[in-house]
Amino acid sequence: MLEIKNLRVSYGQDVILNGIDLELGSGETLAIVGESGTGKTTLGLSIMRLVEGTVRGTIRFNGKDLLALSDNEMQQIRWSQIAMAFQNANNVLNPVYTVLNQIMEPMVEHGLKSKKEARDRAAELLRYFGFPGDRFSAYPHQLSGGEQQKVLLAMAMANDPELLILDEPLSSLDAAARVQVGELLKEIDKHGTKLVATHDLDTASKLADRIAVLYGGKIIEVGPTRDVLSRPRHPYTRALIRAYPNMTTVKDLQGIKGRMARPVSGCPFHPRCTQAIDICRTKIPKLVCNQGRHIACHRGGIITLLSTKNLTKSFGSLKAVDSVDLHIEAGETLALVGQTGSGKTTLAKTIMGLYQPTEGDVYFEGAKVGNRGRDFYKRVQMVFQNPGESLSHRLSVLETVMEPLDIQGIGTKEERENKAIQVLGEVELPQTGDFLNKYPHQLSGGEMQRVAIARALALDPVLLIADEPTAFLDASIQAKILKLLLNLQEQRGLSMLYITHDIAAARKVSDRIAIMLDGRVIEEGPSNEIITAPKQGYTRNLLKAASALRSTGSSGVGQQTLKPPIDEGAL
Amino acid sequence: MHIDLKREIRESGPGKTGLIILLLMITVALAAPILAPYDPYQQSTASLLSPSWSHWLGTNQVGQDIWSRLVFGARTSLLVGFGVGILSTLLSTVFGVSAALLGGLYEKVVMRIVDAFIVIPMVIIVILISAYIRPGILTLILLLSLLSWQGGARIMRAQALSLKERGHVAAAKSFGANHFYLAWRHIVPDLGPILLVEFIYGVRRAVFMEAGLAFLGISDPTVVSWGMMMRDALSFSYLNVWQWWLVPTGVALSLIIIGLTFVGHAAEPVIEPRLRGVGIA
Repeated sequence: MLEIKNLRVSYGQDVILNGIDLELGSGETLAIVGESGTGKTTLGLSIMRLVEGTVRGTIRFNGKDLLALSDNEMQQIRWSQIAMAFQNANNVLNPVYTVLNQIMEPMVEHGLKSKKEARDRAAELLRYFGFPGDRFSAYPHQLSGGEQQKVLLAMAMANDPELLILDEPLSSLDAAARVQVGELLKEIDKHGTKLVATHDLDTASKLADRIAVLYGGKIIEVGPTRDVLSRPRHPYTRALIRAYPNMTTVKDLQGIKGRMARPVSGCPFHPRCTQAIDICRTKIPKLVCNQGRHIACHRGGIITLLSTKNLTKSFGSLKAVDSVDLHIEAGETLALVGQTGSGKTTLAKTIMGLYQPTEGDVYFEGAKVGNRGRDFYKRVQMVFQNPGESLSHRLSVLETVMEPLDIQGIGTKEERENKAIQVLGEVELPQTGDFLNKYPHQLSGGEMQRVAIARALALDPVLLIADEPTAFLDASIQAKILKLLLNLQEQRGLSMLYITHDIAAARKVSDRIAIMLDGRVIEEGPSNEIITAPKQGYTRNLLKAASALRSTGSSGVGQQTLKPPIDEGAL
Repeated sequence: MHIDLKREIRESGPGKTGLIILLLMITVALAAPILAPYDPYQQSTASLLSPSWSHWLGTNQVGQDIWSRLVFGARTSLLVGFGVGILSTLLSTVFGVSAALLGGLYEKVVMRIVDAFIVIPMVIIVILISAYIRPGILTLILLLSLLSWQGGARIMRAQALSLKERGHVAAAKSFGANHFYLAWRHIVPDLGPILLVEFIYGVRRAVFMEAGLAFLGISDPTVVSWGMMMRDALSFSYLNVWQWWLVPTGVALSLIIIGLTFVGHAAEPVIEPRLRGVGIA
């Protein structure tokens, strides 16, 4: 019904939309999702032809190219066939009109209804949105923000438009009202076609069948709502979901590094993307269909960084690691949870090549890892369990952090020193000469582990294997180290294999959890699913045994299984 | 974690004594040309003289000044001792550490060679070979070193095997370090104290062997050696020359051995800290 081809909108030099291609079928709801400033509203306004800048491309609505229509012809369509509910309620409502009159206006103006009919329709809509009769004659300034929003929605829907454009329809509503209005919108307009522009993933998940993610004036990912939200394939989409507070995700919130910059050559997201390669800087990726999902990414979306196939490590007759298949995507954290002796560390060391696998293979960026040379270790690094052990007592802090660089022979001595000092800063350690010359036994446990992390980061790895990095630390230091790891992930796009026996900690830092028992991975899935709906009895026991600060009883996973009051979203 | 070898030796009474004896001996050896009034090889017509102001310890059967020969003999003894100590410790370290790090067939071959040498009594072999080739100082050092590194190599390998499992070695490996780097930067530094104890016992063994071989008369006869002096003195045991010929030489040799034993014993807790507090009787 609506077909947008290569739509470009610019204000002077600023290109706001840069080649948008979209299709919207009849009766479908599509959410346009993105941060503020990505051009969501501009897209809606362009369809309404209310945009002030230069618009090029085609917008076909029921076969007619809206951009080619005369102003008069457009006037006929606007508000009657295509209507838009604006975002900024305060500016849009006429301060001297009562609520009822506001809603009647478009109907009367287009001559579609008599005044009486219009009044009835307006009253009906208002009642629908839960306005009591005595509020019909209120003026905009007497309404709350939420009520104003409802009025705007009612106005847009007054003429039963074929296409309804909703710009942040639920943003100014509180949680309870959102559910209500969201339901109403779906119900009133069951067969209507809607385009919802929002930065709010919850709104998108409540209203839309499909989601299109907009970034820097380009659509970067399109797919069915549930799929996109539960399994984002573009790095930006994942980052957006990670930044969004919701009741389903168990991992801590993470921002997206940097700020949106314009204009950008190549892929609009590349300055903030953590898996960008050379081509991303020069060439704009095309939106292509890949396994039921449209993705604009030169790398085909989030890449799989490391995987193991049937990896087995035996010590004599003991299978410490037994046919393990795992994969780690770029920029994600996979938590490997299991009790002591379940083979977690052996698995990590086998991946690192410190043990030779008895069977099976490790793949890095799709290629089988044979003899691990310096190239491999430059990309994959490990933080060992006990920092007191893994730091040589003969090396000072500076020498320790420089060691990987020395071994790899990177840069001059001065460059190596600077790099070491820089990563020490990244892990929030002092960079003073005094500290640099300290030896491990002069450091606290937390400091030692930070030094160990800094050392692992000195080579700028893309994958960090962290083996119980907080096992020897108290809770407050542990919290700091975990935050640090999350920040590093945000800033560097670091992928992590986080090994722990503590499922409570794992849940806070991981995107996915794999449960290990007796050398086997018995269960693996998105963290929230493992936490809320574990399939294996062993996992349930782990959850039961996990620390929980409850005052009474020990009702197992009680806290986690309690349904949050609003749990409509697919998030 | 830190084992302070210097403190270990300083705090032990015998250790201190041993160190003083050793330093004294080394000084004597270094200052030999000053301390010795005569060339040790220079012959005078007067043989078998009793001590006098011109010949403090008299002269031997060919009229050489015994005091001068005693002083220069310290050089031979210490040179052979330290030479063998250094070389055999080096060989022990190289073979022991490389066997531990490389493993596999190489390790098996090296360790079997070590076993073989340990079973064969070294003294017999040395005597047999020496009797045949009459080794000079350098050859003797080489010979003794080649025959005495095996025991040390076993200890080095055992230590390196345990050090190899340390976290910081695994960490260095995970930065892409090669075997040489691991050995040089992470394993050998931690072997330090053990190396020193091995070295001291190596020296002691070599001093003893050198004197023994010379005493048996199967070393280079042109080199001044305490062992040879004692052998010569013994052949004149019917005279009273043993008082200034045999006794001072024997005391000098004993002092060096005792000094080395004391230092070595004091340093031993480094290898086995449980020995700490067990004094020398």
